[in-house]
Amino acid sequence: MSSAAASLQARRTFGGALRGLTRRVGGREALFGIVIMLVLIAVAVFAPWIAPHDPEAIDAAQVLAPPSLEHPFGSDTLGRDVLSRVIYAFRVSLAVAMGSVALAFLIAVPLGLISGFSGGWVDTIIMRPLDLLLALPALLLAITLIAIVGPGASVALIAIGIIYLPIIARVVRSSVLITKGLPYVDGARSRGVSETAVLRRHILPNSMGPALIQGTVLIAFAIQIEAALSFLGLGAQPPTPSLGVMLNDGRDVLTLAPWVEIFPGVAIAITVLAFTLIGDGLRRRLDPRGVTR
Amino acid sequence: MSDPILTLEHVSVDFQMQDHVVSAVSDVSLAVRPREIVGIVGESGCGKSTLAMATMGLLGSQARVRGHVVFEGRDLVALSEEERRALRGDRMAMVFQDALTSLDPTYAVGEQVAEAIRAHRDVTKAQAKDAALKLLRDVGIPAPEHRYDEPPHRLSGGMRQRVVVAAALANDPPLLIADEPTTALDVTIQAQILELLLAMRERHDTAILLITHDLGVVAQVCDRVAVMYAGQLVETAPKTELFRAPRHPYTQALLAAQPTSGLERGRLRVIGGEVPDLSAPPPGCRFAPRCALAFDACGMTPVLEVVGPDHRAACWAVTPGSAPTSAGQGSDPIMSSAGVGS
Amino acid sequence: MSSARLRFVLRRTAVMIPVIVAMSIFVFLVIRLVPGDPVRTMLGFRANDENVATIRAQLGLDQPLLDQYLAWAGGLLRLDLGRDFISNVPISQLLGERLPVTLELTFLAMGLAVIVGIPLGVLAATRRKSMGRATTAYAVAGISIPDFWLGIMLVLLMAGTFRLLPPSGYVPFLEDPVANLRYMILPVLTLAVAESAYILRTTRASMEETMGSPFISFLRAKGVSERRITYHHALRNAAIPIITVIGIQVGVLLGGAIVIEVLFALPGVGRMLVTAISQRNYPVVQAGILTVAIIFILVNFVTDLIYGMLDPRLEEGDE
Repeated sequence: MSSAAASLQARRTFGGALRGLTRRVGGREALFGIVIMLVLIAVAVFAPWIAPHDPEAIDAAQVLAPPSLEHPFGSDTLGRDVLSRVIYAFRVSLAVAMGSVALAFLIAVPLGLISGFSGGWVDTIIMRPLDLLLALPALLLAITLIAIVGPGASVALIAIGIIYLPIIARVVRSSVLITKGLPYVDGARSRGVSETAVLRRHILPNSMGPALIQGTVLIAFAIQIEAALSFLGLGAQPPTPSLGVMLNDGRDVLTLAPWVEIFPGVAIAITVLAFTLIGDGLRRRLDPRGVTR
Repeated sequence: MSDPILTLEHVSVDFQMQDHVVSAVSDVSLAVRPREIVGIVGESGCGKSTLAMATMGLLGSQARVRGHVVFEGRDLVALSEEERRALRGDRMAMVFQDALTSLDPTYAVGEQVAEAIRAHRDVTKAQAKDAALKLLRDVGIPAPEHRYDEPPHRLSGGMRQRVVVAAALANDPPLLIADEPTTALDVTIQAQILELLLAMRERHDTAILLITHDLGVVAQVCDRVAVMYAGQLVETAPKTELFRAPRHPYTQALLAAQPTSGLERGRLRVIGGEVPDLSAPPPGCRFAPRCALAFDACGMTPVLEVVGPDHRAACWAVTPGSAPTSAGQGSDPIMSSAGVGS
Repeated sequence: MSSARLRFVLRRTAVMIPVIVAMSIFVFLVIRLVPGDPVRTMLGFRANDENVATIRAQLGLDQPLLDQYLAWAGGLLRLDLGRDFISNVPISQLLGERLPVTLELTFLAMGLAVIVGIPLGVLAATRRKSMGRATTAYAVAGISIPDFWLGIMLVLLMAGTFRLLPPSGYVPFLEDPVANLRYMILPVLTLAVAESAYILRTTRASMEETMGSPFISFLRAKGVSERRITYHHALRNAAIPIITVIGIQVGVLLGGAIVIEVLFALPGVGRMLVTAISQRNYPVVQAGILTVAIIFILVNFVTDLIYGMLDPRLEEGDE
């Protein structure tokens, strides 16, 4: 094969593979979201190598400097590089967001599975207390919990995780209820498969789709909630950097140096955008009928 | 013999999917005369429902309809959407398979009949209600005043289908298309609904295009029958003629495959092979891959030729002397029309 | 009201009461878990064992938990919510002053979001090509942008650059409606943008699903106008998920209102709560959280009632 034909062949297969991938994740937007998410995770993981300056480095000569080559996001009231601060703060936010959802999954998925699968009073005992949590607005509950234990990033993580427990448990439970009633489960039972095996092999894999979608949506919300908590002073405490705190501090110099306020907000928006797009794409593929919220 | 009320001329319907095109209906030509009941039979996926929807103009934007759908002298394909809307429910009506999902679940059944009237006639709400009550009585719903305000889920399946028929015939349309109207019903209710359709034909002078996969239904009510396979029209004939002397190999196989109620034992006759993939249909006759009589000429789409009184079949093996001899020259497989209507 | 509907309402009311009671117990216990002695915090440097004991006895904090709860619950039924630890003002008075602010903020924001979100959602669902991209972009942006950041940006624009609207402050509506609205525009807008995005998305999804139902085809077969199909039939059927989301979102808005009240210095329940928490002023915290929870429960109750009216199938028997 000539080199021209070979490269055409390669491009065609690449194009085909790309189209297949796009379809698998549920659309162009979702692919876009995944790319952004990977970039963001990379930024968070490789922060020490990516950040151009030490986020705590004070530079009296560069106080409130507008964006420039040396400080692409400008600098704040103490001359610290905003870009580097955003990167490190973002790390914390992302960790809290993903951590809280992971925590919630760890506890709520088994609860939802058991609750949906067993039904009856087991279901009631598990779900009623969780439903009580749902009766309060999320932020309010988080603030209350933090008020009990005291502020901090890890506390925020746990608080958000607790808020998410009933949501994930409900989604898993709904999926289990639907899957439980499907004919092939009866088929498996009539073949003599044990209850635990039915749960593990048939119910579990098919109930995870909506849960995954809900998870991505919840990560997006968690970023927002963590930012709001830090904004109120209830989240990550200094010296731990935090986007919410940056947003609060930026208010003081809003008219003088808007970039101090703008860029942390943009960082949050992009992150939420990425996960929302991924969630939308997954929903199109896995849960068109809407078990998730 | 009066002019046909509906004439389908070389109607084809393609669906534009993400990365391929599905040829759901291929070059179908058919005529329906006033007050005639024409049955379209075929297995699932043969395109009969699509054909019905295309005739009404109810297919979505992914569908491309080619050919002519001539109704009361006008080509519906060429009309604007608003002109078609004005005809739907007034001059041409349709009922679907499942009456429960045909009705708005949040809306009273009587109102849904009245709505059909108010969509086309300038009448007051009270007048429409009166007319709707009368229609409900006509279709055999006892004490319609009590049923008028009920939501659909409170009625039985048979009653719901009657409501749907009432709404469809509210404005005395000369053409009714019934897409599998009895499939979702119990056998006893089926019989009632078929009786109803016959009665409606008498009362409203309506021609009916009846879509079904059930040959029993065809035997009960149809005047003429058209057989479809994989989007192609393969045979048309008066009912008795079709059952007595089917000519197309597919029709013969279809009739032979019906389990008989006689006491003879024997194997069920099945048709070997599978229905073709309509995104990549075989050229020419689509039944050829499964047909015992297939030969070279079948690579070109057969044309409906007369094989008996008002009886046409599209099969080179069956129509005497009309098989093309120039099979391998890559000519256009869609032949020009040779006989449409009477 | 038909008897079926009456039974439905009574059933729902009966369910609501245990939930409120459970909520009050929950709130009561959660607050008691706050570490640190509130009396000491309150007295500050004046705290010594004697003072602390006296105040504790005065406030009834030395009683067993159950007695404390019953005393408090009894007070609730008489609408006596106790007194602010710090200022000794009756909490019912505080709430009376602050609740209208929060309610005004929340309901104006939801109202605006619904007025913008639902029509846009319907249009996006029924006119795919033209409206599709623009509304999707708006919806996704609305969800992604943190609302308090948007508020700050709006302040920068409106109050800073253009000097059109005040950045903070409040005047009660009954005192001066025009001034009240001037102060409320930015906070309401801030909350409404994100909210309208959610409602738009939900409306669009629900409408798209409904428009694909078979009964829509039959309506078209009857020759009913597309306009009537969309607004009279489809919207009614699509309404239930939309209303569900609105109900849930009122809760979210109440939470978001907390931050917005702090941001715009509005004298609402949210800001009162945040301050009270940092002061360990727990009668206030208790009453505040319970109030918000009850509002939310009431909203859900009304939502259920509306479901029943919209879809007759739901009134018969509960799931």
